[in-house]
Amino acid sequence: MADREVKIHVENLKKSFGKLEVLKDISMDIEEGEVVVLLGPSGSGKSTFLRCLNQLEKATGGTILVDGQCVTDHKTDINKLRENIGMVFQHFNLFPHKTVLENIMLAPVELKKMTKAEAREKGMQLLKRVGMADKAEVYPSQISGGQKQRVAIARALAMNPDVMLFDEPTSALDPEMVGEVLMVMKELAAEGMTMVVVTHEIGFAREVADRVVFMDAGYIVEQGTPEEVFNHPKEPRTIDFLNKVL
Amino acid sequence: MIGIIQSYGTMLLEGMGRTLLQTFLSLLFAMVIGLIFALMNVGRNRVFNLIGTFYVDAVRGVPLIVLAYFIYFGIPTAIQTIGFSDFRLSSIQAGAIALSMNCGAYMAEIIRAGIESVDKGQMEASRSLGLSYGKSMRLVILPQAIRTMIPSIINQFIITLKDTSILSVIGFTELTNVGKTIMGNTFKSLETWAIIGIMYMVVIVTLSKLAKRLERRLSRGR
Repeated sequence: MADREVKIHVENLKKSFGKLEVLKDISMDIEEGEVVVLLGPSGSGKSTFLRCLNQLEKATGGTILVDGQCVTDHKTDINKLRENIGMVFQHFNLFPHKTVLENIMLAPVELKKMTKAEAREKGMQLLKRVGMADKAEVYPSQISGGQKQRVAIARALAMNPDVMLFDEPTSALDPEMVGEVLMVMKELAAEGMTMVVVTHEIGFAREVADRVVFMDAGYIVEQGTPEEVFNHPKEPRTIDFLNKVL
Repeated sequence: MIGIIQSYGTMLLEGMGRTLLQTFLSLLFAMVIGLIFALMNVGRNRVFNLIGTFYVDAVRGVPLIVLAYFIYFGIPTAIQTIGFSDFRLSSIQAGAIALSMNCGAYMAEIIRAGIESVDKGQMEASRSLGLSYGKSMRLVILPQAIRTMIPSIINQFIITLKDTSILSVIGFTELTNVGKTIMGNTFKSLETWAIIGIMYMVVIVTLSKLAKRLERRLSRGR
């Protein structure tokens, strides 16, 4: 694992909303194929950090490089960069006026990555992969939360990204639907996708993460393998947090 | 009453025709004006925000009758004094401009509210896929916004149709103006205005019923 290439390089990242400083000083490298799980109490800045990676939130300071390209630079074509960074949201954000398949086809066709026929084929292939092929022609309002999230993952994958960001992908789901979404994510990880995941699913983190990063109050408090962080946490704040959630 | 209909029937229908034509034309221009200023207002550009707010406030702050006078009498005079001595606006042209501007301001607010009613996550999801702001607006936000906008647009349509009567003051021969002429000729005010009133009502009720049906069909396709 040591000689893998650095995919995302973050240096002294800062983010404030007005007077509120959410990210104080974050630096980390994420390697290609690595699965990083961000953990921490709410308000610790983990979602904001994730959203800075594809500039849904503009960083206030610091640098983010993705594939050596500076995300925070004005001159970088952010739309082009986002094509390679898929994102999955807590509330799915599927487009309600489009069918499941159309949701997936929209970006590849509009951004001229594929013809309509190619996008359709790719879309069906992805739907099969997430177990949703039979719902291709249905509107999002007609499927369950877990199904919506699996479609949302397929939609993000349609652009062939090499990084996937997950922002609490199971937090809005009924408990019995969490498993099906985590399953898809596990498969994705096994295939070597670089993933950054904000989640409260400790089980998933233990099983799938290469690295667990514990954040609190805008800083990275502690990080390491799941074994290190969960079984031998060093920082009192990590211990305190784990005591509450485990 | 029968007598009025017999002698002025064609004139009344022509007046109604011009009222409808003016309404549809103005509504069409108003949609374009409204969309432009709504987009200025929802964007993050401060200068555009200012222009958008100014337009809406200015036009909504002036009665339509004053706006019509200003455009029909004021603007041509101003243009004549700077050298284009034979510049004129017909009452149809001036009326269309005044009504489009007026309706456009209200339309801008309707469209802005429609856009803002769409969940913020929709724009984020679209942008995260690499689609530009413009494409996201056109493909993701506006198609959803239009559904919430339809009832207000129908309402505005009816208001605009009725507002065409105000244009009679600049001599545009729409339905109300025809009424004035008939009144002048026959002195039968009760009958004349009853006929005019009923004509407006029939057209408006019919159109709003049609619009309701369209609205229902659109929301079913969800």
